[in-house]
Amino acid sequence: MDPIKEEMSNQVSEEKTKKQKRALFYKTVWRWHFYAGIIIAPFLLILAVTGSVYLFKPQIENMIYADFYDVTPQDERLADSEIIDQAKETHPGAVITSFRPGEDETRSSEVGLSSEGESLTVFVNPYTGDSLGELNDEDRIMDKIEEFHGELMVGTLGDRIVELAASWGVVLIVTGIFLWLPRKRKGLAGVVYPRFHKGKMTLQRDLHAVPAFWIAAGMFFLIMTGLPWSGFWGTNFQTIATNAGVGYPPSVWVGDAPSSGVQTKEIADVPWAAETLDVPKSNLQGLVPASIDDITSTAKREGVHPSYTVIFPNDEEGVYTLSAFPPKARDEITMHLDQYSGAVLADYRYDNYESIGKLVALGITLHKGTEFGIVNQLVSLAICLGIIFIVLSGFYLWWKRKPQHGMGAPKSGGLFNTKLFFIVLIGLGILFPLVGLSIICILLIDLLLIKRIPALRRFFNA
Amino acid sequence: MKKGITSLVLIGLSLVLGACSLNAGVASLYKEETPLHAAIQIPASFKDNAEDVISIELEQNGERVESMESPDFLHAEIWKQDGSLSFPMEEVEQDEDGAFYVKKEFDEDGLYFIKLHASSNGSIITPKKQFIVGELSDEELEILQEGAQEEEVDHKHHH
Repeated sequence: MDPIKEEMSNQVSEEKTKKQKRALFYKTVWRWHFYAGIIIAPFLLILAVTGSVYLFKPQIENMIYADFYDVTPQDERLADSEIIDQAKETHPGAVITSFRPGEDETRSSEVGLSSEGESLTVFVNPYTGDSLGELNDEDRIMDKIEEFHGELMVGTLGDRIVELAASWGVVLIVTGIFLWLPRKRKGLAGVVYPRFHKGKMTLQRDLHAVPAFWIAAGMFFLIMTGLPWSGFWGTNFQTIATNAGVGYPPSVWVGDAPSSGVQTKEIADVPWAAETLDVPKSNLQGLVPASIDDITSTAKREGVHPSYTVIFPNDEEGVYTLSAFPPKARDEITMHLDQYSGAVLADYRYDNYESIGKLVALGITLHKGTEFGIVNQLVSLAICLGIIFIVLSGFYLWWKRKPQHGMGAPKSGGLFNTKLFFIVLIGLGILFPLVGLSIICILLIDLLLIKRIPALRRFFNA
Repeated sequence: MKKGITSLVLIGLSLVLGACSLNAGVASLYKEETPLHAAIQIPASFKDNAEDVISIELEQNGERVESMESPDFLHAEIWKQDGSLSFPMEEVEQDEDGAFYVKKEFDEDGLYFIKLHASSNGSIITPKKQFIVGELSDEELEILQEGAQEEEVDHKHHH
């Protein structure tokens, strides 16, 4: 063979292997996108549907609880301690756990109490002292939806599943973008707008890929702003940030509140009901807890956002905590007051969060759709509806293309043959440990079961 | 390949099991307050027809607070639970050694309260202490048994 010919054939074969490699790469990414999509699609659907409803929590609660919330302002307002006494009367023997004075003059006060193992909220008209009704915390419909959104109503396991689905959502976005990237330059059709006249197959593909491209950024944003809530990734992330001095101060998300700076012997004992006059006097002398009226006037003095709730100390060393998480992140505050002296022990308002803490706080109010009011809600709703659409169109795409036998997944190219993708996957697995763990499980199942049992091998096209 | 997977499993497990916890003293990395602390010293016994001294010590940031110059202040009010006696809010006195004190005659037996209103370097506190002169009456004991909180509303006017 003459050298020129040989070189040409070398080039041809090099190009061929390059092409083969590219095809292999594409197939591998597609395979991961395919399986991840099918497994987590139901969860993404749940998150998007419950999220769409939960976005409108303020409006929905204002509507369904109007009778509990709305009061007609009058000149004279009762002292906060009297409001609490009124609530106490409806449940003798109950323990007061929280008090929310009400953010404006047309809003009722809320007294949280725990009675016979149940947490109740009693709504009181702060002008007349009349009880407007009560709610068992377990009956709050929006809380149920939040529970569904955050933990599928099955506690910790659900929390981990949601987190897993959300983190795999990132994998879907990354692999989806790989697949979406136009491989042959040919304009924007099928890239930023769907091709309606190129046949059914093309349209089916475009109805998934094109809208997915449009909402990818929004979906990524919702995932990343939602993850700090999650039980595993979120708690660890918050702990690392707080430990590094760049996150939320302790006790806002992770960590304990400070304790009241008193020694037990300084505190006055409350005598038992059965005790008679010869109970030791010295035990009865001492500091008594600050009254709620002192606590609420401190809240006013310190400029705490009026939507705050006072959380009562639950033991002798506990603190009164003023907590407000209003629509805008910059108004947030968690303030701890000494149970006895009323001293401000910690003032953790938004301004006192460090950089990452501020960012996460802002992310959360954006995620909840409260930061920019109705516009925020509508944008988030559009993203949720978009997610629902691409989940369904993705499912439809699979259903239509699926062969009668087997899953219809692209053939496995062997994970270790596509280094770049393998590295990306490991990267994501480290960033999201639950993804990493599940990848390990998948590899083990693949290695130990699917590869060894011919029927499975055929079904999964491995 | 087997080795690769084993090491992956190990990395994964260490990440999960190594879930971190908050460092002690992490609060010092964030904005800190310097709360004022007051120790109110009630005399062990009260004299008849003579003044008794309640002494007050203030501490802030681990140091004794010696002066209460404007804008700082230290006021005290004292009242008897049944409302039969009350010494309205007044400035607390200071002796030559810099110790703070309130001097009053407590001739009637019963349940008393003293409440301070103090401010120093931006920390404002209102600690309240209950004390007993002589013997308690049956009613007072009952009130204590119910948790002596409510009396303050009657004692003070509404907002």
